Amino acid sequence: MIRKSQNSLWNDAFQRLKKNKLSMVCLFIIIAYIILALGCKLGLFFPSFNETNNAISYQAPSAEHWFGTDFMGRDVMARAAHGTLTSLTVGLWGTGLAVIIGTLLGSLAGYFGKLVDEGIVWLYTTIDTIPYILLVSAFSLVLGPSLYTLCIAIGLTTWVGLCRVVRAEFIKHREKEYVQAASSIGASHARRIFTHILPNVFHIVLIQFSLGFVSTIKSEVILSFLGLGVEPGTPSWGVMINNAKQELARGVWWGLASATLLMFVLVLAFNLFNDALRDALDPKLKNKS
Amino acid sequence: MSDLLQIKNLTVEFQTDDGPVEAVRNVSFNIPKGKTVGLVGESGSGKSVSSLAVMQLIPNPPGRVKNGEIIFDGENLLDHSDAKMRKVRGNRISMIFQEPMTSLNPVFTVGDQIIESLMLHKKMNKKQALDRAIELLDQVGIPDPKTRVHAYPHEMSGGQRQRVMIAMAISCEPELLIADEPTTALDVTIQKQILELIADLQKKYGMSVLFITHDLGVIADIADDVVVMYRGDIVEKGTTEQIFKQPKHPYTKGLIACRPMLEQNPARLPTVSDFMTVDGKEIDYKATPVEKTVRPITSDQPVLLEIKNINKHFPLHKSFFGKVTEWLRAVDGVSLKVHKGRTLGLVGESGCGKTTLGRTILRLIEPTNGDIFYNGTNITELNKEEMREMRKKMQIIFQDPYASLNPRMTIGMAIMEPMIIHKIGKNKQEQMDRAASLMEKVGLKPEMLNRYPHEFSGGQRQRICIARALAVEPDFIICDESVSALDVSVQAQILNLLLDLQEEMGLTYVFISHDLAVVKFFSDEVAVMNKGKVVEMSDAVSIYKSPKDPYTKKLLEAIPRGIPKTMLPSS
Repeated sequence: MIRKSQNSLWNDAFQRLKKNKLSMVCLFIIIAYIILALGCKLGLFFPSFNETNNAISYQAPSAEHWFGTDFMGRDVMARAAHGTLTSLTVGLWGTGLAVIIGTLLGSLAGYFGKLVDEGIVWLYTTIDTIPYILLVSAFSLVLGPSLYTLCIAIGLTTWVGLCRVVRAEFIKHREKEYVQAASSIGASHARRIFTHILPNVFHIVLIQFSLGFVSTIKSEVILSFLGLGVEPGTPSWGVMINNAKQELARGVWWGLASATLLMFVLVLAFNLFNDALRDALDPKLKNKS
Repeated sequence: MSDLLQIKNLTVEFQTDDGPVEAVRNVSFNIPKGKTVGLVGESGSGKSVSSLAVMQLIPNPPGRVKNGEIIFDGENLLDHSDAKMRKVRGNRISMIFQEPMTSLNPVFTVGDQIIESLMLHKKMNKKQALDRAIELLDQVGIPDPKTRVHAYPHEMSGGQRQRVMIAMAISCEPELLIADEPTTALDVTIQKQILELIADLQKKYGMSVLFITHDLGVIADIADDVVVMYRGDIVEKGTTEQIFKQPKHPYTKGLIACRPMLEQNPARLPTVSDFMTVDGKEIDYKATPVEKTVRPITSDQPVLLEIKNINKHFPLHKSFFGKVTEWLRAVDGVSLKVHKGRTLGLVGESGCGKTTLGRTILRLIEPTNGDIFYNGTNITELNKEEMREMRKKMQIIFQDPYASLNPRMTIGMAIMEPMIIHKIGKNKQEQMDRAASLMEKVGLKPEMLNRYPHEFSGGQRQRICIARALAVEPDFIICDESVSALDVSVQAQILNLLLDLQEEMGLTYVFISHDLAVVKFFSDEVAVMNKGKVVEMSDAVSIYKSPKDPYTKKLLEAIPRGIPKTMLPSS
């Protein structure tokens, strides 16, 4: 009866996730978006997205330009595809930064308690009191609008929620016997935090990352719409939606439609996948073996 | 004599990932009117499932009653509609659960919870119901019931909450009371009171009681008939006297033998596996029990651990300016000596400070003041680095084997971790080999090393915890309620293992437990703790034979004898 350690909790979770057909479809959609974004990044898809041609501005969808063209005569489909790259980049780096800050501060606060905790709680309550848009616009104004400013701004402002959750989990886990057992064999603080407690709360971090990803994508669109997002000229769904303000009056609907459609499908897929991920990783839903 | 409840050929099936599993197979037994039937078995034997089937409380899916009949007062309960069943539940059949801490709703007063079923089933108005609730609280022995009826559950102790649960259960004067491990979570002295209360109420109301427990000692005290379950089957049933005097099935024999008893002094405990194989074949067990002798302290057993006047106080209340106005004296001036190669038993009820003392010795909790000498070194003065070095020699095995292993770590990793921290073993391969040999030492297969804790049973996990403690080759181990969460038969195996290891490696133990019978079996010396103080200390046999402190006497009296009343020498 020698079995390999194939049935770790992570593996169990993945098996449960695989059983959910809808979540697998969503995963494929997300992967398709990632491939699209990577292709754009490497110049494999739509290399001519920045080509302007004033002669063909505002052309309706046609065989040549499936989604039509914008006021500078650029292909809308190419712009929207490159918007995916912008969205996913901001999503990844913005949320990634937030997760790193939130997890680190949350675990330190929850594990050590006392003064460390008070300091970190003070920090995040302070940040939480400042309206989010105001904070991001302050960052953009100081650092100048660019894709990376946006990532940093989002990362530095959205870690609070995750930090709270991780802190609460650490407070719960630090009293558990397996952590005491670790300290009784002489394990250091770092070892207790990173090898013992963190793997036990990591599913929460993963779920929060996935949730944060969606809201970051939406944030990028909103901020770009407000003119606080990416630098001018960078293709972005938010910029496309912003341009639609003038375009719609002239009966040009395809710019808005293509940006909205791409965003809608991605966010929907992400949200449905998140629900399934949460179910799969929730230890309470797992039947005891 | 007529039977109130007849269970006939009951089979309950659960759907699992690996297909259907029968939790209970072809179970038949009867509960006569006005009698108590004890249902005994280990965890997973199907005893709780059987009782839930009577109440029709089996969660469906995944569970379902596959076949059988449950005849209550002439009617098959399985044919009842949901609505009809609700009229039976809580009214004619009621139930008490194990965990008094969680089975009361914390946001309602206890009065509210008692009157709920009175108003529902007996159609009383609020005033009548409240009067009846006060009367019931008085009957179950809650002092000052008129004011306590408005108390919230958190304002009551565990024993009082269990009394409230009983008051709720008997509020509608049920014909059948199902008690599912009602005393398992309680201290022995409280357990005794609750058992007496149930017996009194039974006489008063003429109820039948189905008493479910894993503890044969409790059964002997309270039951008229006993049903023994093993892995979903009934292996034996009979009157309590028959079962204890002439157990027929090897499992019953094993179960009775493996429980440490105050009257006996065995050197080792027999286990169920001495009586039968896993699939139920009888083994002829004829080993003559070896009497345990009091080991005198020899010259090669110097004092290994000496505690001098140790205190641990927790602040309870603080004034506005942060000055502590009231302290909880969890450990209050305790001094102890433990000799090398011997076992000190530390016994007391929950909240007496025994666990705090154990953790203070290892400095998992810092003492408020006092000195702890280990092998002549005062460890309260050691710095962090020196203390880490010291942890190699002093280890602890915790109570709950489910909570003390990191669920995200393979057990191989768990056993190797102390070696990695203390740099024992040259490389990973050597550490792996050591882990494998430790696994064998504690009676597990080395092939299991790369599995995760959730794949193991409670007893196996406790073996893993022992292996982890042994990984640093300690001289001294604190066992903090290390067998309390285990079934009796598993408990006997773990106790025997610990004894073997002591003999083989010359270990010194401090054995913390609330169970005086287990402590007496396992220890050379026993210290009794009450309210943070050691009230009595002596060798294990004489503390039982001639207890001096009134608290020790009270504790000893409360322990279930494990012998039916009719068989006691005095009667």
